[in-house]
Amino acid sequence: MGMSENPVDLLPELCVLGGVVVALLTGLFVPRGRQWLAVALGAAGAGAGLIAALVAAGRGDGMTFEAFLLDPVTHVTRVTVLGAALVVLALAAGPLRGHRRETEFTVLVLLAALGTILLGASADLLVLVAAYLLASIPAYVLAGFAKDARGTEAALKYYLMGALLGVLMLAGVTVLFGLGRGTSYATLSQNLAHAPPGAVTAGLVALLAGLLFKAGAVPAHHWVPDVTEGAPPVVAAFVTTVPKIGAFAALFRVATDVVPSSAPGPELFAVLAAATMTLGNLAAFAQTNVRRLLAYSTISQAGYLLVPVAVATRTDLAEPALLYYLAAYVVTNLGAFAVVLTTNTDTLTDYRALATRSPALAVSLAVLLLGLIGTPPTAVFVGKLLMFTAAIDAGYTWLAAVALANTVASVFYYLRWLTPVFTRPEDPPPPPRLHRPTILLTYTLATATLALGLLSGLTLLP
Amino acid sequence: MTVLVALPAIVGAVLLLVGRRADRAAPTIALAASAGTLGLAVVAAVTRPSLTFPLFEGLPGGLAVDGLSAVLVVTVAAVTLAVLGFAAGDMPASSRFFGLMLLFAAAMLVTVTATDLAVLLVGWEIMGALSYALIGYRWRDAGGVRAATTAFLTTRAGDLGLYFAAGCALAGTGSFALDGLAAAPAPWRDLVAGGIVLAALGKSAQLPFSFWLSRAMAGPSAVSALLHSATMVAAGAYLVLRVQPLLAATGWAATLVAWAGALTALLLGFVALAQRDLKQLLAASTCAQLGFMVLAAGTAAVAGGVAHLAAHAAVKSLLFLGAGTWLTVLGTRDLAALRGAARRLPLVGVTFGVGALALAGVPPLSLWLTKDVILGATGSWPLAGVTLAATVLAAAYSAKALIAVWRGEARPGSASRSGRGGGIGPGVPFVALAAGAAGLGVVVVPPLNEVWARTVGAPAARPHVVELVGTGVLAVVVLGVGVLVARRPPKVRFAAFAVDWLFLERAVERGIVRPVLALARGLAWFDDHVVQRAVVGAAAFSRGAASGALAVEKPVDAAVQGLGEGARRLGALARYPQTGKVHTYFAQAVVGFLVLAVVLVLVR
Repeated sequence: MGMSENPVDLLPELCVLGGVVVALLTGLFVPRGRQWLAVALGAAGAGAGLIAALVAAGRGDGMTFEAFLLDPVTHVTRVTVLGAALVVLALAAGPLRGHRRETEFTVLVLLAALGTILLGASADLLVLVAAYLLASIPAYVLAGFAKDARGTEAALKYYLMGALLGVLMLAGVTVLFGLGRGTSYATLSQNLAHAPPGAVTAGLVALLAGLLFKAGAVPAHHWVPDVTEGAPPVVAAFVTTVPKIGAFAALFRVATDVVPSSAPGPELFAVLAAATMTLGNLAAFAQTNVRRLLAYSTISQAGYLLVPVAVATRTDLAEPALLYYLAAYVVTNLGAFAVVLTTNTDTLTDYRALATRSPALAVSLAVLLLGLIGTPPTAVFVGKLLMFTAAIDAGYTWLAAVALANTVASVFYYLRWLTPVFTRPEDPPPPPRLHRPTILLTYTLATATLALGLLSGLTLLP
Repeated sequence: MTVLVALPAIVGAVLLLVGRRADRAAPTIALAASAGTLGLAVVAAVTRPSLTFPLFEGLPGGLAVDGLSAVLVVTVAAVTLAVLGFAAGDMPASSRFFGLMLLFAAAMLVTVTATDLAVLLVGWEIMGALSYALIGYRWRDAGGVRAATTAFLTTRAGDLGLYFAAGCALAGTGSFALDGLAAAPAPWRDLVAGGIVLAALGKSAQLPFSFWLSRAMAGPSAVSALLHSATMVAAGAYLVLRVQPLLAATGWAATLVAWAGALTALLLGFVALAQRDLKQLLAASTCAQLGFMVLAAGTAAVAGGVAHLAAHAAVKSLLFLGAGTWLTVLGTRDLAALRGAARRLPLVGVTFGVGALALAGVPPLSLWLTKDVILGATGSWPLAGVTLAATVLAAAYSAKALIAVWRGEARPGSASRSGRGGGIGPGVPFVALAAGAAGLGVVVVPPLNEVWARTVGAPAARPHVVELVGTGVLAVVVLGVGVLVARRPPKVRFAAFAVDWLFLERAVERGIVRPVLALARGLAWFDDHVVQRAVVGAAAFSRGAASGALAVEKPVDAAVQGLGEGARRLGALARYPQTGKVHTYFAQAVVGFLVLAVVLVLVR
């Protein structure tokens, strides 16, 4: 693994940072009506970062500045995060066009995305903490972006949970630093093997508090439903999707690079995975608010995503399974939120007879929800298949069985949303106010899940 | 050959398919097609074409015009043209009517030119179906449709014999060919003969099938003129004449046919005499006259029989047209009400008179000659006696009809409507048919009888002078007596037996229809109470079995329900920690991580 201190290795991140700075400065000086210019510049920075990340993905692995890993996990994290950030900016174009703080939104989203990339790429606990803060604090602000009662409450809960779990995480970092005599993963993996296992386990659990908070997994999941429901929909789409990418990348690194074989890492993650997916699914059953339903759905998806993390050290399939599932989940989940944004309603009953009002939108929703279930030929199906294979390959058949049972159970609440969509209306509600670019984006995302599933199905599966 | 059949068939089918849009042009088109058919028929009669085509594997079908067919083809085509000419004035312009008539003529042409039983059956069946459509042409009139149904079902019952015969012919001779039937081995030959005789008697309204013709009079007059003179009923007579060698070969069949024909001629003669309705009288007389032809087939007098058939076709269609004209103009066909009808429409009256005199067998008209040929061939005394009696009756019923329309003065007033039956155009069929009715008998008079016999392909026959004089005098005497009787009409009450067509229909109603319906009801009862009960029982058994399965299913169902309920409870439980209050979240998170750490540390 080659070491270097070449700033070009961080070009994607620097592009995003540059975009943020330029957007911020531009936003300060252009009038409210032309804030789109700042948004465009910020998006351009993210776009440039995306291109740079794609180019960087072609190069070899390595580490830069002794704390930033350059490997497939980082590449996928960069591409997925920046792509998701751009989608969120596009989704926000409708509701936020001409908003007083349009630039602010863009800057916050990009900064949170930057923090998320750092979270996923860091190879040092201190950088991880810094990335955690960078990824979290803009997200708190975004949650309260609307400055309404519910948004403020959501932001406060989000922040308080983040603060508590961040403190726990710092405690864990401190314990591990003490036990491992260093903060870099390489040092830790060497020294923790000889440290007392009990202390290592305690420090590890504390460290995980912060990462699980970002991932929205049990027992740090409480903020997810409240924020998803209380924050503006586009923010909900962001905070339930983007931070997860970095969090799972970081969790994967911790599982593979930090946890010594003396500590019960796989067992810990397996229990967390089972608990998370089960709790998320069960709680989603009776929801009547689609955003709350999606929130619990993201919790259960976090549970599935924890399965490859649990088997990370035991099978080579874990890494592709995690990365593929992450990308597929991001596309599908953003699509589902795009539908919510398009229809501009949270109530389940408002989706009655959507198929007669907007057949294409209804079909898109069906594709996306079936995608979240993991129905072939969508992208998540391939991800789930890889995940099951990895779990069975690693000897975690029970975990695969739990995941399968949860998948079956999840059909129930996704169909609870889907059934009214295709019922015949007795008195059809008025047609929803639709924002054309958002609709097009929704169609694109739905098509992307199918295309991704079909293409990868052709290439990945025998 | 093909064109002869195809022309009326295609034009008729097109008229039917085009439907109402062609109504106005239909009479003209039909007349043109019919005239063309007559021309082709004459050509075919001279050129004698034949046609063979693959019908079944190894069993070619064929159409051919031989001597017998030639006579029939020309007769059918000529009568069709005459009747259509009349119908063009009498019937409303309707493509349905004219299309059906043309198709019917085509079917008849197929029947009389078929060289094998299979093709004959095709024409025979189409004819039967179209007769239903034509008799029931006025379908809004329930009586007409019922009459059509009676006619159809009765002739169909006879038709079964033809199917039977075709099957036996195939089994016996390995082919359907008509000319090979007589050579069939013993049991098959008799079975084929039996089947054909049954079918022919049914189609020709011979005893015991006569009643359907009475009912068929409910149809339009033009239909009666075509179906009940030269076609349909004539087809039966044609068939027995055609297979005369077969009948002769069996021995019994010829005798049976001869007696059936003779008795029909006699008994239906009585029936005709007893009728008060002109069309019913004509219908009964048709049966009687067809009896003579069937008799001829039984006594090997084919030449005479065919001559009688052709002459009778002209006579009877002429009489039906006359009756139809009066029905249209005067609105009645009751003999009493037709008093003096002939004087009001002179053309119709005179031609009807010619026809009636011919029917009566008055010299020198056609039927006098042809009937005598048949009479001369009877052979045995009882048969000759019956036939002679039938001849007398023929004179009597003809006299009745003739006197009914000619006696008394023409009532003034409505004669102006004679345009219907008079005039040049509509009059042509009457004149033409009257000429045929009067003169067609010459074919049996020497020296023409030799030519005729060669044409028909049967031994030449000619009436004997003594018989001719005898029957001629007899006919004139009967006519004279009739006129005398008519001066002071006696209060004759004909037996209801005769008036009601020998109670044949009633007999069929009691003897066949009711038993069949009773049997059907019985079977329906059986179906309802035994078969259905069995089915219901089976269903009940299945239901029982199903409830047994249900007993198994219930726990499964309960388990599923329980699972759902459990999931619901767990769902509620899962949402319970989501209090919305941050301090409980804090507590939960801290406790969660603590428990996790403690458990993992202790477990390890």
